[in-house]
Amino acid sequence: MKTLLSGASCAVLVAALASTAVLASPDAAQAGEFDGVTIEAKLIGGQQYEALYARIPEWEEATGASVEVISKKNHFELDKEFKSDIAAGTTDWCVGSNHSSFASQYPTLYTDLTGLIGQDVVDEFVQANIKAATFDGRLVMLPRAQFDVSALYYQKDLYDDPEKAKAFEAEYGYALAVPETWEQVKDQSVFFADPPNFYGTQYAGKDEAIVGRFYEMVVAEGGDLFNDDFSPAFNSDAGKRALQWFVDLYQADAVPAGTTNYLWDDLGNGFASGTIALNLDWPGWAGFFNDPSSSKVAGNVGVAPAPKGSAGVRTGWSGFHGFSVTEDCEHKEAAASLVDFLTNEDSQKLESSAGPLPSRTAVWDHVSEQAKGDAYRSEVLAAFKETAATAFAVPPTPYWIEATNLIYPELQAAILGDKTVDEALSDASEAVDDLMQEEGVY
Amino acid sequence: MANNTNHQARRVALKWMHSVGLFLAMMVLCVPGLWIVLNSFRPTVEIMAKPPVWIPNDLNLDHYRAMFGGIGEGSVPVLTYFTNSLIISVTSTVIAILIGMAGGYAFARYKFKFKGGIFVGLMVTRAVPGVALSLPLFILFARIGIIDTHIGMILAYVAMNVPFTVWLIDGFFRQVPPELAEAAEIDGCTRWQAFWRVEFPVARSGVASAGIFAFLTSWNEYALASQLTRSTTSKTMPVGLLDFTSEFTLNWGGMCALAVLMIIPALILTFLVQKHLIAGLTFGGVKG
Amino acid sequence: MKRLKLPQWLVLLMPAIIILSAVVLIPLLLSLYSSFTSYRLTRPDSLFNWVGLFNYEKAVTDVKFWAAFGRTVLLLAVALNLEMLFGLGLALMISKVTRGQRALRTMMMFPMMFSPILVGFQFKFIFNDNVGLVNNALQSLGITDTAIPWLVDGNLAMFSIIFAEVWTSTSVFGILILAGLYAIPRDPLEAAKVDGCTPFQSFRFVTLPFLMPFIYIAMAIRSLDVARAYDIVQIMTNGGPARRTELLWTLIGRTGYVDARMGYANAMGYVSIFLAIFFTIYFFKKLTAARKELGMGV
Repeated sequence: MKTLLSGASCAVLVAALASTAVLASPDAAQAGEFDGVTIEAKLIGGQQYEALYARIPEWEEATGASVEVISKKNHFELDKEFKSDIAAGTTDWCVGSNHSSFASQYPTLYTDLTGLIGQDVVDEFVQANIKAATFDGRLVMLPRAQFDVSALYYQKDLYDDPEKAKAFEAEYGYALAVPETWEQVKDQSVFFADPPNFYGTQYAGKDEAIVGRFYEMVVAEGGDLFNDDFSPAFNSDAGKRALQWFVDLYQADAVPAGTTNYLWDDLGNGFASGTIALNLDWPGWAGFFNDPSSSKVAGNVGVAPAPKGSAGVRTGWSGFHGFSVTEDCEHKEAAASLVDFLTNEDSQKLESSAGPLPSRTAVWDHVSEQAKGDAYRSEVLAAFKETAATAFAVPPTPYWIEATNLIYPELQAAILGDKTVDEALSDASEAVDDLMQEEGVY
Repeated sequence: MANNTNHQARRVALKWMHSVGLFLAMMVLCVPGLWIVLNSFRPTVEIMAKPPVWIPNDLNLDHYRAMFGGIGEGSVPVLTYFTNSLIISVTSTVIAILIGMAGGYAFARYKFKFKGGIFVGLMVTRAVPGVALSLPLFILFARIGIIDTHIGMILAYVAMNVPFTVWLIDGFFRQVPPELAEAAEIDGCTRWQAFWRVEFPVARSGVASAGIFAFLTSWNEYALASQLTRSTTSKTMPVGLLDFTSEFTLNWGGMCALAVLMIIPALILTFLVQKHLIAGLTFGGVKG
Repeated sequence: MKRLKLPQWLVLLMPAIIILSAVVLIPLLLSLYSSFTSYRLTRPDSLFNWVGLFNYEKAVTDVKFWAAFGRTVLLLAVALNLEMLFGLGLALMISKVTRGQRALRTMMMFPMMFSPILVGFQFKFIFNDNVGLVNNALQSLGITDTAIPWLVDGNLAMFSIIFAEVWTSTSVFGILILAGLYAIPRDPLEAAKVDGCTPFQSFRFVTLPFLMPFIYIAMAIRSLDVARAYDIVQIMTNGGPARRTELLWTLIGRTGYVDARMGYANAMGYVSIFLAIFFTIYFFKKLTAARKELGMGV
């Protein structure tokens, strides 16, 4: 979203661009190292991601290589394109944008970066991210500064009203405060809700999105989505408690009635419209929510770490963007050098200065330092840092996306009341089990 | 007398109903579209406002300015998309019309075996859903190496439009009495000359109406274009709309601004040729 | 040197046949073949793993598939008929107007300028339950005080999709039927008036039979193009929630591209192609019959 960057952060970005252009000299690349080499790249497009690409000319100048961006799309479209490429055998381009949730689907497309990127470089990244980028011992992507985990955005003034606080305590028996558990989120959402003008919370209701939300809730309730052999494990007590949470909120009218058709953009716009009290959402929205030109709740936004489930575990479904090098690339060294460059410290500083979260330890420290004096930004960073500490990635199976397509209609059926929680989970579990067996996973 | 006033009252009432009905129908047809136009001038905070803001109090060109702005400001290579769309749509329409004229002429003027079968066979190729066709077509195009090129897109759209142009133009040529051309041939014209001087001018409206349908189809097509285009070399405007979406966000105001730029040329074109369109359809499709 | 001389009609038809074979027929044969394999996009070698009729068996024994199939037929039947009725009404109203017809005709064709993908986004926002135009209007006018879940409720979601589909395509019917109205000869109508027919009778027995070929043409055109509704539905609901709006095309699109099971998707695709072909041939037959009735020849 173009308005995602407030004017101020835009200015920072431009300044950062200018300064890096003068100061930084690309590390690890020797002058003229790849003279005459052309690297074809398929990169994710969109406002939030493209600022980084302005650095590419620097790398070209330093190495003598040139980069040709042969495709620029959003990730769902890129995913389709990659699959078509594999099908048609047109995979001799070199660098591709990748995402931790999609990466496991292309086992043959990307090469192992381990030999191409120095171990010392890999060690500088947040190790949980490196782990999530490694499949079967192969490091398939290097994370850029686009780490995503969700924290709880809320409207601050709801907690400043003494009358509300009194009424809440009288009804629920504990003091009204920013929620720390999902049980509290449920109570407060029901309490705050005043449909059709105001809702307690909302959740992504379809596609991979709701399965991700369900997944993290299952983990927070002490269960898991899959067993170690990738047989479904979510038809358990923890799974039922997790799904029940979504069902209860829907039945209580505490979430918008259309929530089962919402995806991220609807959620972000909903919270920005000022009609949602509590909103579990991604870091990319932080600037948008607090920008008066895009959001009615600007100035009234608080951010807290993701709440915990009954098992005392925080939700923390996470993902990140990165870059990969194809197996069929002719100049793997040059491609790896570009990937290295786009994820190096300067690149991550540049990207995270506009809001997204980094995936390098040093850059985390750097952004926290930079945010000092900006109360909102510091609050955002603190909440996300806390949540990131216990975050977890999607299960590393090539059938993840396909499994989500089997699970989500069942979750929706339970939420809308077409099926009971038990029926829905057992149907979903059976469908996933069939899939895994058909594919010979076990 | 009483009967007369009664009659007159009914006529007035009918006239009113007619006006009101027409007004309502036009509202339903135009409001969703005009809403898009309006949104392109409004800040996001107002579009998504709740309670709703009915009377816009802040209209500006921000979405358009951002679209044409620099890297990192939300710019979208609109002009490139526009040029691609124009080249692809116009070329494919022209080719589809030429092929359609040849094919239509063949169906209208010649007798041959399996005519009906061949005709329906050509028609049903259009019935194949884009979603079923897009992957095999992609694999084929990838083998030849025309992915992400204007040529590839033009080929695909020509194939999409040919059945329709053949059909419409066929109906039209049947309308022209064969004697006309024969007379011209006797006067010393070749068959080719006779066609262009005598038969084609009569069929012009039919060609125009086939053209506008073909153009609008190519101009607005998405399913195939999203598969066969990749970068700014060939991306068309409908595919460009998706530039305003990213993983978590969707810039609705910006999308509306691009949509407006997409609609305007189509609207102008339609307004200009709609007289021919009506005339063409009147005689082309039915009387044969 | 003697050249093989093709008949002239074949020479004229050649360009059409060549391009349609290259761009439609060959890819279709490719996908027909792949529907007999366990083809997964992400594993190219699976293209050579012949599984016979497995995919077809799987499709025809799958309740979800038949539910989507039934829903698609329902959508087609309802949408096409509504478009026809509204298009007829619109054309009749516009033909009666004496001034400003050109502007009215352009206005009527306004929705045709909208790319289906844009229509999808547009109606997704218009029917949003929280900040959407429709609910906002209803609430502001005091007609309702609840947020109507247009895209979630089983019936309303289908309604919303049909509304969007009808909105985009009524124009096609409108313009074709309008063309038909202009083509009606005056004499029979005058004669009917002299004979004392009521306006309704002269419409029913004079105007309508003349219009029928135009209506069938529009039906045939639309049934060729309906699959374009895929873009609309995919954006608006993507078949959800809880498969309440799942259509063949959304099911095929998801299976083929997201799940990467192209073999299975193509098997289902063939069923949907036959459906489209059936509708098309049906309307062509009707068209031919209507032409004959009016003595227009074939």
